[in-house]
Amino acid sequence: MTLIALGIRSLLKNPYRSLLTSLGILIGVLSVVVLTGIASGAKALVLQSIQNLGPNLLVVIPGSVTDSGAQVGGGTDTTLTADDAQAIRTQCPDIWNASGALRTAAQVQSPHANWSTVILGAEPSYLPVRDWRLARGGFFGDQEERGMARVAVLGRIVASRLFGLSNPIGKFVQINHSPFRVIGILSSKGQSPMGMNQDDMVVVPLTTLQSQIMGVTYVGVILAAATSPERIGAARREIEGILRLRHHIPSGGRPDFEIQAMSDIAKTAGRLSLILTVLLALIASISLVVGGVGILNIMLVSVRERTREIGIRMAIGARPRDILVQFLSEAAALSFFGAVAGGAGGVLFLLGIHLAVGWPTPVPWEGLMLTVAGATLLGILFGLYPAWRASRLDPMEALRYE
Amino acid sequence: MMNIDGPGISLRLEAVTKIYSVSGEELPALRGVSLSIDGGESVAIVGSSGSGKSTLLHLMGLLDRPTSGTLTFGDRRVDNLSSTDRAVLRNRSIGFIFQNFQLIPRTSALENVEMPLLYRGIPARERRERARDLLASVGMGDRERHTSSQLSGGQQQRVAIARAIAGSPGLLLADEPTGNLDSRSASTILDLLLSLRDRFKTTLVLVTHDMEVAKHLSRTVRVKDGRLEGHA
Repeated sequence: MTLIALGIRSLLKNPYRSLLTSLGILIGVLSVVVLTGIASGAKALVLQSIQNLGPNLLVVIPGSVTDSGAQVGGGTDTTLTADDAQAIRTQCPDIWNASGALRTAAQVQSPHANWSTVILGAEPSYLPVRDWRLARGGFFGDQEERGMARVAVLGRIVASRLFGLSNPIGKFVQINHSPFRVIGILSSKGQSPMGMNQDDMVVVPLTTLQSQIMGVTYVGVILAAATSPERIGAARREIEGILRLRHHIPSGGRPDFEIQAMSDIAKTAGRLSLILTVLLALIASISLVVGGVGILNIMLVSVRERTREIGIRMAIGARPRDILVQFLSEAAALSFFGAVAGGAGGVLFLLGIHLAVGWPTPVPWEGLMLTVAGATLLGILFGLYPAWRASRLDPMEALRYE
Repeated sequence: MMNIDGPGISLRLEAVTKIYSVSGEELPALRGVSLSIDGGESVAIVGSSGSGKSTLLHLMGLLDRPTSGTLTFGDRRVDNLSSTDRAVLRNRSIGFIFQNFQLIPRTSALENVEMPLLYRGIPARERRERARDLLASVGMGDRERHTSSQLSGGQQQRVAIARAIAGSPGLLLADEPTGNLDSRSASTILDLLLSLRDRFKTTLVLVTHDMEVAKHLSRTVRVKDGRLEGHA
C-alpha cells in the first residue's frame, strides 16, 4: 500500500512529465469513447426512424427497368397501380391495410407566400397505414378520392410557411395554378429514414395528383401494413402471389415489383452500424496503444534517470519486488488517471455534440468502464518491462551510476 | 540467525576474491582476503585509492557478491543468498553510510530516514515518529522538511547517518564518511558516528585513507593491491 503511494508521490515530483505521459492515454480513451458514442448514436437514429415507419410495414415498389440487360435501379418503373393497392388491401388475409402513393415536387402558393415542396398523392388509407395523426381539421375520404377533389392536407412546415400563425383550414392554396382547399394539418413527424423532412409536404388525393397534376395512372409505391409483426412473412407471400397473378407473371418469372419489409431493413441497418462501431473502436484503440507506448518510453527514461535512486533504495533494503511494485504503480497511476480523465472528457465531448448538433449520443457506460479498465491494464502492461528492468538492477552498479 | 539481528554482528571473510570483468578484461580487485571482525568491534580499513578497500566494504554490505570465497555473519553464510534475502538482510542488519551521502533527491530528510522502515513494513505513524526521533538525535530535528539540495554536506551526512541507524542494525558500514566534508564537519560526523556506535554497541567498519580518522577506531586493517597487509 505504501509502495503504491510512493509511486504516486514520485509522479507528483515530475508533474509536467506525468501530465504529458497521461495525455497519450487520455487521447486514446477519449477517442474510443467519442467514436463509439457517435457510432451507437447513429445506430439509434437509424433504428428509431425505421421504427417510426412501423415495424409491420411492407413497401412494394415497381421492379427495376432493365435497359439492354443493365439494371437502372429500383422504383423507376410504372407497373404498379391503385388497383394493385386495392387488391392487396382487400384480398390478403394477413394485410391489415394498404395504400398506393405517388409523389412529385411542385410550387404551392397562398395569397401571401409561395413554397416549393413535395406533393404526396395518397389514398385515404394512407393515414392509418403510416399511423399519421392530424394536428387540425380532417383527412380526405373515399368520396374526395373518387371525385378527384381539390383538397389538401398540409405538413407542419408548409402550413407555417404559407400561413404563418393564422389558421389555414378552409383557405385555399394554389398547386400548379389550381386552387386546393385546405382541410387539415398533419402532426409533426420529423425526418424520414430516407432523409427527407416529413413535415415539408402537401398531401392530396391520389387520383387528383394522378389526373390533375401529373397526368399519369401509376403509383410510385404501395405501403401495406401486416396484421402483426409475426405475419410479415405470410403477408409478403400473399402480396407476391396477388401481384404475380394481376401482372401475369408465371412463378419462376422475374417479377416487375419488389417487396421490402421494414424489419429487414432495420436488421441490415443494425448489422451495418455494429460493423461501423467495431471498426471505429478498433481505429481509436490504435491511439490507445500509442499512448501505452508513450508510457513505456517515459518509464524507461525514468528508470534510467533514477538508477542511482534505485541503487540507494536497494542499499537500504528495498527488495526487487518492492522496486517492481513502485514503478508498476507509477505506470498504473499514469494510465489510470489518463484513462479516467479521457473517459470524463469523452462524456463531455459526447454531451457537447448532442447539444451542438442534436444527435442522440448516448454515453456508452459499459463500454466506457471497459475502456478505462482496458487502458489502465494496457498502461500496467507497458510499464511491466521498465519496472522489471528497474528491479533487476545491480545495487552496486546502480549506486555508482551518474 | 542469533548474532545477526542483535547489536554487534560478528563477521568473517574467508579467501574472498572479487574480479571485475570490464569489456572482456579481468580486473582483480580483491585477491584472497580473510578477515574476522568481532561483534561490537570498530575497525578502520585503510589503503590508497584503488587498493580494493571499498570493494571489501561493499562485499560486507551485501551490495556486491564475491567471485569466490565465503562471507559469514555470525554463523550464517551470506555470500550465496538470493537478491531478495540479501535485500532483507541489508534492511534489517546493515546500515550504510556513503562518502557522497546518497540521499534520495527531491525527497525530504524525514522521508529519507523513514525509507528503511518502510521497506520493513512498519506502519506509517510509527515510522514517522521513529524517523523524527532519529533526526533529532543527530541534531537535524529542525530540518525535517528539507531536501538534500537544501542541506550542507555535513547536514546531509547526518541525515544519512540517521537513516543508516533507523533499523537498529548490528553492522554499520561507512565508506569514507568524512571524505567530502571540511575538517570541522568531518570531526563532528566522526564524533557522531563513534558516539552512536558506543550507544548501540554495533559493529562499525569504516573505510578511510585518513590515518587521523583511523586512529579513533579500535583496529586498523590495511589493504594494498587487493590483499591485507601485515595481517596475521
